[in-house]
Amino acid sequence: MTRGFRRRFRPLELLSEEQCNEVHHGMLEVLEKTGVLVDHERALDLFRDKGCRVDFDNKRVRMPSYIVEEALQKAPAVFTVRARDGKDDIVIGGDTVYFTLFPGMDTVDLDTWEPRSPTLREHNEYIALSDALPNCHFLACYPYFGYKGVPEVLKILEGIAVKLRNTTMVQTCCYSHGCERFTVRMVEAIEGMEAMGATHSAPPLSFSREMVDTYFTYLEADFPLWIGGGPVLGGTTPVTIAGSMVVSNAEMVAAVVLSELIRPGARVMVHDYALPINMRTGSPDFGAIEAVMHQAVFNQTWRRYGIPAVSTNAGPVSSKKIDFQCGYEKAFAAFSAAISGVNVIQFSGGLYGELAAHPLQAILDDDIAGMVGRYLEGVSVNADTMALDLIEDVGPIPGNYVGRAHTREWWQREFFTPKAADRLPLPEWLKTGKKDCLDYARERLEELLSTHKPKRLADEQEEKIEGIMREAREYYRKKGLIGDSEWKEYMAIIESDEYPYSR
Amino acid sequence: MSEVLEELRKSILEYDADRAEEYALRSIEEKVDPLKSFEAMTKAINEIGEGFKKGERWLPDLVGGADAMLRAAPIIEREIKKRGVKRQSLGVVVAGTVFGDIHSIGKTMVCALLSAEGFEVHDIGINVRADEYIRAIDENGAEILVLSALMTTTAPEMHKVIAFLVEKGLRDRVKVMVGGGAITEGFAKNIGADGYDPTAPGAVKVARSLVGR
Repeated sequence: MTRGFRRRFRPLELLSEEQCNEVHHGMLEVLEKTGVLVDHERALDLFRDKGCRVDFDNKRVRMPSYIVEEALQKAPAVFTVRARDGKDDIVIGGDTVYFTLFPGMDTVDLDTWEPRSPTLREHNEYIALSDALPNCHFLACYPYFGYKGVPEVLKILEGIAVKLRNTTMVQTCCYSHGCERFTVRMVEAIEGMEAMGATHSAPPLSFSREMVDTYFTYLEADFPLWIGGGPVLGGTTPVTIAGSMVVSNAEMVAAVVLSELIRPGARVMVHDYALPINMRTGSPDFGAIEAVMHQAVFNQTWRRYGIPAVSTNAGPVSSKKIDFQCGYEKAFAAFSAAISGVNVIQFSGGLYGELAAHPLQAILDDDIAGMVGRYLEGVSVNADTMALDLIEDVGPIPGNYVGRAHTREWWQREFFTPKAADRLPLPEWLKTGKKDCLDYARERLEELLSTHKPKRLADEQEEKIEGIMREAREYYRKKGLIGDSEWKEYMAIIESDEYPYSR
Repeated sequence: MSEVLEELRKSILEYDADRAEEYALRSIEEKVDPLKSFEAMTKAINEIGEGFKKGERWLPDLVGGADAMLRAAPIIEREIKKRGVKRQSLGVVVAGTVFGDIHSIGKTMVCALLSAEGFEVHDIGINVRADEYIRAIDENGAEILVLSALMTTTAPEMHKVIAFLVEKGLRDRVKVMVGGGAITEGFAKNIGADGYDPTAPGAVKVARSLVGR
C-alpha cells in the first residue's frame, strides 16, 4: 500500500462549531428550496423514486434533508483503491494525506514560457518521472491532454493509455464524448486493477447530461468517484466565502446523493476548486489567498460529513513561469490544505490554470510535498526523542551532538532533505556554478529518467489495451470527429517507432 | 433626448435590468423611434465599456450593464422588425456555449460587447448541440459563429461543431470564433477556427477583422 503522509495533530479550523452548523443548514436549505438542475432523465427518475421533489419540465431536483443526510451516511469515510500492483493501492480518508500530479493541457517552453503540445515521448517521460517521484502517491486526471498529433477527441483516451503503460500507480480517468466506455474496459483489462472515475458538477447547482452519464458509467463499473466542481467566487457563486461555501457544498452534496442513489455505499471523494473571479479579466485568480481559505473551510465541513476531501486549487497558479510567485502560490495553498485536514492534494507539476504543466515543476513541487508531509507527521515526544540521558552526557561546550549515535539514528527521520533546493553555504555555491533550484531540478530529471524504469504491462495486457484503443479510434473516426488531415498525422505517429504498441 | 430615451440609457448605466425592460416597453408605447432607442442603449453600454477600459468600472459593472441591455434589446429589436426598418449592422452573429457545457458568463460578455459594437447578435444559450447552431445560422443568415466552452472536457465539442459545418456545406459561409477558459490559441488553430481571443474586448476586434468592417 502507498502510505502517503499522516496528519498527527488536530486540524486547523477556520470556523467555529456554530459557524460550521450555519453553513451546513444553509446548504440543506439550498438543496430543499432551490434544488439543482439535472439534465438527465434517468437520474431525474431515480431522484423521484427515492423521494426527492422533481420538476421534470425544468429538470430541477429538490432534496429533503433526510435524503441528504442518509446519502452522506452511506458514503464510506475511508476506502481503498486497487492499483495494478498491490503495493501501490491507496487508502483514502482519515488522517492520510496523498499528493498527486496536477494537469496542464500542454507543456511549456522554458525559454519563451509559452505553452506547446508535448510529444508522445515527453508524455511517456512525464509519467515515468511521476512513477519515480517519492511524493507522487497516485495519478490524477491527465497530466497532459494527450500529445502532439493526437486528435482532440482522443486526447483523454491516449493519455490514459500512456499512464497505464508507464506507471503501476492508481490513476484517475476523466471523460469526454463518452470515452469512459473505453476507459472502463482498458482498466478492467488489467485484472484486479480499478481506477478513480473523475466527474463534475457545473456551478452554480447544475449537472449536464454528459457529466451525469459518467456517474452512471463509472459507478456501474464499481469505480470510486472523484467528484469536482469549479466554483468561481463572484462568478458562479456568491462573492463571499460563506455564500460560496454554501452553494458549492450544496452542489457537491447533491453529487454525493446522486452517487449513493445509483450505487449505495459508493466510494466518493469531493474536491474544492473554488477561485475568486478577477474583476478585470473575468478569469479565475489561481493561487489567491481566498481560494486557500475556501479550501480550509471546505475541509472542515467535509470532515463533519465523513467524506474524504481533495484540494485541487493548490496545483494551478497565476504565474506563467516557474518563479517566485509560482512557488509562494503553491506552497501557501498546499500547506494550508494539509494542516486543515484535506486527504488528497492535486498539486505537482501544474503551472498556469490547467493550461500548462512541466516535469521540472513536478520535481520542485515534490520537495514542497515532502516539506508539507514532514510537517504533517508532527513532533514525536518520548524518552528517545527528548534524549535526556544524551543531554546529560554531552553537557555544555565543548560538548556537541554531531557524531553521536542518537543523531545518526534520528536525523533522517527528523529532517526532510529537499532534492532540488539550493542549500549550499555561499562560498561553495560560488565555486560550484551558482546553481539554483531549477538547475538541480534539471539534473534530477535527467537522473531519474535514466535510472528509473517503470514496470511495463504484460504482453497480453498490452494487446488488450491497444485493441481497445484501435476500436476507439475507429469509433470516433466513424462518428466524424476526426478529420482526414488529423487522422493522417495521427496514423503517422501510431505507425512510427515511437509507438511500439501497434505491432 | 426624450425622457424615455434618457431613462433607458440611465437604466443600463445603473445596471437595472427591470428598469431597462420597463423603459424599452414604454418607448414603444410612446412610439419612440426604435432605432433611437437602440442608439441610446448602445451609447450606455459603450460608456460602461470605456469606464472598464480606464479601470473606473469593473467586471460586475460590465456584466450588469450587459444583462440590462440584453433584457431590453429583444423588445426594441422586435419593434424594429415590425416597422420594417433596417438597423445598420456590422454583421449577424450566432453565439452559444457548446453541448455539455452550461457556463454562460464569458459568452454573455462577448455578446453584449458585440451588440454594443453594432453587430446583430443572436445568443442561443448554453449546452447547444451542433445541429442547433446550424439551424440558428440558417434562420438568421449569420456570418459569424461564436462558440464558447469553459471546461477542458467540453472544448473538443467545438471541433465537432466545425466538422458538422463542413458536412452541411456551411463552413465557407460562416467565420467561426472560439473562446472560453479552456481555449488557447493553439487549440483554436488545431480545430480550424477562424478567430480566437482570450478577452471579451479582444473578441470584438477579432469579429470586426473577420467581417472586414
